[in-house]
Amino acid sequence: MRESRSGRRLWPALAAPGTLWLLALFAVPFYAIAAVAFGYPDPVFGSPVPEWDPRYWDFTLFTEVIQRSLTGDLRPVFVRTLLFVGLALLLCFLIGYPVAYYLARYAGRRRGLLLALILAPWWINYITRMLAWLSLLQDDGYVNDVLMALRIVPDPVRWLSGNPYTVVLALVYGYVPFFIVPLYATLDRIDSQLLDASRDLGVGGYRTFLHVTLPLSRSGLMTAAVVTALPMFGDYFTNTLVSGSPTTTMIGNQIEFYLLGGSRKEIGASLVLLLSAMLMALMAYYLISSQRANREAS
Amino acid sequence: MTRRPVVLAALTWLYVVWSLVPVLIAIQFSFNDGRSRSTWQGFSFRWYWGDSGSVASDPSLRLALSNTLQLALLTTLVATPLGVALALGLTRWRGRTSRAANGLMLLPLATPEIVMGSALYLVFTNLYTLIPLGRTAQLLGHVTFSVSYVVIIVRSRLHSIGAEYEAAARDLGATPLQALRTVLLPLLTPAVLAGALIVFASSMDDFVISAFLSTDASSVTVPIKLYSAVRTAPSPALNALATLLLLGSALALVLAWAVLRRRRGVVRGTDRAGGSALREMASIDV
Amino acid sequence: MAFHPRETRGASPTRRQFLQLGALAAVAGTGVLAGCGRERPRPTPTGEQIVLSRPDRPTRLPLHSDVPAIASGLTPEKGGTLKVFNYAEYLSPDVIKAFGDKNGVKVEITTFTTQDEAIAKLRTSGTDFDLYFPTPDILAKIVAGKLLQPLNHSYLPNLTNAWPQLQDPFYDQGSQYTAPYTAYTTGIGYRADRVKSVPTNGYDLLYDGAYKGKVYILDDYREALTMAMLRAGQTDVNTEDPAVIKAAGESLVSLVNAVNVKVGITAYQLVPEGQADVHHCWSGDIINAQYYLPEGTGPEVLGFWYPANRKGAVGTDTMAIPRSAQKPVLAHMFINHVLDNDVALENFSFTGYQPALSIVTPEKVVADEYVAENITSAIVTPEHYTDGLQELQLSPAGEALWTDEWAKFKAGQ
Repeated sequence: MRESRSGRRLWPALAAPGTLWLLALFAVPFYAIAAVAFGYPDPVFGSPVPEWDPRYWDFTLFTEVIQRSLTGDLRPVFVRTLLFVGLALLLCFLIGYPVAYYLARYAGRRRGLLLALILAPWWINYITRMLAWLSLLQDDGYVNDVLMALRIVPDPVRWLSGNPYTVVLALVYGYVPFFIVPLYATLDRIDSQLLDASRDLGVGGYRTFLHVTLPLSRSGLMTAAVVTALPMFGDYFTNTLVSGSPTTTMIGNQIEFYLLGGSRKEIGASLVLLLSAMLMALMAYYLISSQRANREAS
Repeated sequence: MTRRPVVLAALTWLYVVWSLVPVLIAIQFSFNDGRSRSTWQGFSFRWYWGDSGSVASDPSLRLALSNTLQLALLTTLVATPLGVALALGLTRWRGRTSRAANGLMLLPLATPEIVMGSALYLVFTNLYTLIPLGRTAQLLGHVTFSVSYVVIIVRSRLHSIGAEYEAAARDLGATPLQALRTVLLPLLTPAVLAGALIVFASSMDDFVISAFLSTDASSVTVPIKLYSAVRTAPSPALNALATLLLLGSALALVLAWAVLRRRRGVVRGTDRAGGSALREMASIDV
Repeated sequence: MAFHPRETRGASPTRRQFLQLGALAAVAGTGVLAGCGRERPRPTPTGEQIVLSRPDRPTRLPLHSDVPAIASGLTPEKGGTLKVFNYAEYLSPDVIKAFGDKNGVKVEITTFTTQDEAIAKLRTSGTDFDLYFPTPDILAKIVAGKLLQPLNHSYLPNLTNAWPQLQDPFYDQGSQYTAPYTAYTTGIGYRADRVKSVPTNGYDLLYDGAYKGKVYILDDYREALTMAMLRAGQTDVNTEDPAVIKAAGESLVSLVNAVNVKVGITAYQLVPEGQADVHHCWSGDIINAQYYLPEGTGPEVLGFWYPANRKGAVGTDTMAIPRSAQKPVLAHMFINHVLDNDVALENFSFTGYQPALSIVTPEKVVADEYVAENITSAIVTPEHYTDGLQELQLSPAGEALWTDEWAKFKAGQ
């Protein structure tokens, strides 16, 4: 398609406002975090003053935070966060894949309705959904009523008392809709002729799934994992809502404590930087492995 | 021969039930006669009006509701055009800068909200001090994380449309801008609407960024109110507030649906706008 | 075609440009580190040193020439909104409404959860609260930072209703910036029907495994660590001795295994509802709890322990007017309104926190049925204030020690 000169200028011109916006309100704020993390404390209030000139950046506090994260008191928090997110991601996969698969391949006439029902959580406030579970998981709530009626447990289970399973399940409940949607999109696009061909060749249903469907959906899986897990790493309100105990603190809670409630905001900023670096590394892994997957697949 | 996948179907419907029933129960308890949020004590409207702790009697709760809706509306009005333009630009623009811009656009999707919230808070209090915290800052923050949603939804639609329609228009003598306006944009309508709906929903749901950037009661949103109330003074009034918010968003959905239903596909090949918007929402393709 | 055309096109460029970004970042990083070690000449802090006030070392807060008090005899501002900045649920809606109706102004409350959060908001340009409720331990900081304006006592005739020692308190001699609001103690709230016996050292209740799973401590770094120190017999609750602070932190960590402790600030709901058997809480919480009792349960199930020798944590809250107040005259009048005896008692019945006024005696609050007989230990008298230990301002180094120790506890193991 021949592009006139005005055509060539049109597209960058269209992209400019959005790009500038993101630069000003996404990229620059990250620099602000660094400036605060590497700044100095205000003599009167003790709050951090940002240092904008990188030549004068002070890394002592940041190194202290790294050291605390690797070997000190912050290490259990990072480890626990990784554990929770990993477990939650696994559960999202176990729950989300069958649902996405059914929706993509079998739903038929009911597809619109099912899609609407599955997308509905996007419309319902996250805290409202957690509130729902708070009602259910109280000592005298419905979940315990059912469990006791079915004689599964003799006494009410204390779900909301620093129970790590509650936190993981709450994370899954909160984020699984974000997992299902990109997965559904990919599964939807897999040409059913490929699957029929596989079956025609005599490959059984399960093996078709393992050797044809799963690899084909890999990019969708990676996207789903990224869109679900990365935000989960910074989650703090889920833990605060369903558990009041220090035994389930996630890294987001410590960031919130230092940045909003505490008097050492520069540690909060350093933790944010550390978390971002960790997530960028994971993101890089995702990109590299998806590139490799695409090369193998084609 | 199509096998009926009973197990998968059962799993899926079980998931739907598990996903939505707790919300219905939360709504149920908003009508509870007593203070408890877990034991049913009879039906009553007291948490909506009448009681001293109800939503109607607490002006801060009403203010929070109106703040949330206004913020969501404004965010949608700003983020949607910005995102559509960005999607169009990124898809057709070639070059290294374009790829860098593409990467920049993808990053917010993978950034935890606490990172974005704290970054925005620090930048507004230390660098962009001309912009006060509060509603303006919240609007700017919401648009920032919303733009990416619009871009990826519109972009995947752009790819499936392909370049033939525009090429045809250009061959008939239209400038690229005219081709864009008269041919491409109408074709993109379902995707644009889907993007707008997602932005509206995300903005109403947002808690972290709103909390970091709020100052006083005029910038408190419902999620902030819910979160702080759950930690300090939980009562079924919270359930009532959440139900009202749900009603508000359901109303917005219904309105959007009504608008969509009126638009029959103008250009041949467009799906019926309503169902297609739903599919667009689900077609997240990074 | 099985794949969407985008799938192959998309990954490669993003990966390449991502690696490019990463390389750029690494280069920038090394460049920066190479230059590190250079110290920017810091501006020397001008003028006053911040004096840490203590009950035996009263301070007169400095007055600044560029932050004057308002003149006397001004007419109150009309119309608009009076913006009050306070903790949540800490002012009775009826008291607020009465003031608003009487003076023709709308009163709007903005809440904060910690004083640090409040200070951050006050320092943000564009906020213009008319009334603020600081605690004594941050006064020196915010006065030095010029966040408050001095009070004009000609608008505050009701100040004489307050406890004499709070009309000229050690943290603000001459009440130049603040007026007293409430007084409270920190003790152990408990379910009298579930706790078999209360030991002499009541803090041990929190460590008793018999109440496992139903024990809460306050979600406040000063209060929690202070509790651990007081339990061990340490009476200097403003210590900056790292060993003492560390020992307190370890004591708190032991609670996790001993009783599966949780942190919270809603004792007024958890104790009457039975979700907490033992809750480290403020005196106002247990008084408030009377109104959260479920149907059919009386106040006799509530209990509050405070050290018999009155060597426990005690504190007061104050009212002050920020420098950027748009309606300072009305703000003064609001303070005066709250200091009125009747209004204060009405406020008390809502918040449960005792106004620091002379009229509020143990006999009166029991006789007027604000407080049930069995929780009179939650009533604060001037003697409590004199004998008690207050958590006051620390140096930045001390703050860091306390904060980090608390963060360690919250991080879990």
